[in-house]
Amino acid sequence: MKALVDNMLVYWLLLLGISLGLAALVYVFWLKETMIH
Amino acid sequence: MYEFAIAGMSAPIFLLVLTGMTVGMVGGFIGVGGGYMVTPALIVFGFPGYMASGIDVMHIAGKSVVATIRHRQLGNIDWVLGLAMVGGTMMGVEMGVRLLNLTKELGLSGMALLFGSVAIMVGLFVYTQIETHRAHKKIDQLTESGAEVGRELKATKLPMFFQNISLKPIIRCHVARIIISMWVVVIVGVATGVLAGFFGVGGGFIRVPALVYVVGATTHIAVGTDLLEIVVSGGYGALRHFMSGNVDMIAVFFMIIGAMLGAQFGSIATSFVRGPAIRYILSYSLGLATVGAFMRLVYLLTAQKYGFLNFFAVVFTVGEMIFLCLFILSLVYFSVRYRGGKWVPGWIPALVVQKD
Repeated sequence: MKALVDNMLVYWLLLLGISLGLAALVYVFWLKETMIH
Repeated sequence: MYEFAIAGMSAPIFLLVLTGMTVGMVGGFIGVGGGYMVTPALIVFGFPGYMASGIDVMHIAGKSVVATIRHRQLGNIDWVLGLAMVGGTMMGVEMGVRLLNLTKELGLSGMALLFGSVAIMVGLFVYTQIETHRAHKKIDQLTESGAEVGRELKATKLPMFFQNISLKPIIRCHVARIIISMWVVVIVGVATGVLAGFFGVGGGFIRVPALVYVVGATTHIAVGTDLLEIVVSGGYGALRHFMSGNVDMIAVFFMIIGAMLGAQFGSIATSFVRGPAIRYILSYSLGLATVGAFMRLVYLLTAQKYGFLNFFAVVFTVGEMIFLCLFILSLVYFSVRYRGGKWVPGWIPALVVQKD
């Protein structure tokens, strides 16, 4: 894990993946019904 | 879910509080109002476009006051610089709004806004990313050679060019430690104001880089002084939107609850990091916002045929805010660890300050 985090680009991609995953969950559970397309 | 009577729709309260908190944190850290993130997010939540704009500007005005007070306590505001710029900014905003109305009459406003905003954000992202990366590498090299490095280091000579312009009157910005022609500051204010008025945003994402790369202020001073500008321009915008009936105050209230907390933390977080760390977050926010806007643009240009583009645009809009907050929290976490002598990733020491 330390080796992964030690590389800034990898850390950036990891955080981005987590964030987009959380955002996808928010979309599926809360936004899909209320969204304007 | 809460029923917003004025907006005529319902939305989950926690999402508004969370949006306010995340954008407040980012705004307090990089000195932006966050309109380019909040307005698309509110539209995604179901608010009508004009209402999303009005709620956004109203919450920005309130949140910026909190962040500005905190930055003043941290010594990050140059009042001479801020006051010299505010007149130009207000004039520029008015010119930008009139330019927008002109493009509306010509039937070009929608496309002009989208293409224009994508072009500017891409340009700023590329320049800021390259310069910050170079500054990061320079700090690493200086630290390895044993030299002491302060809170700020830039890898560009552009501010020197503008500071050497000797058109009177010359102003001395004691907090920012720069001596510069007032005309440069006013023109920067007008130019950033025009862009802000045209795109209907606070302008922080343009003004902070302008203060850093043109005027030559340190990133921390640019963030604090820009938030002062946003209090003025945001306050004026909030008043106009309120008078036009574009604001649901209950929605603003929920957003401000989150924004008050987020803005406090974001502002205080700047004292843990060096200038390049703030510029990295600024460039990431521009890059991700561009990707989201580009997806939305392609979705509209393809006559809304491909639903997955809209899905990705929504996920990027919400994900961007979460990502920026997680990165800011990481920087503070690693800064505390570094001060305590614990292990941190190799790229952290150049980005954080070891002592207060």
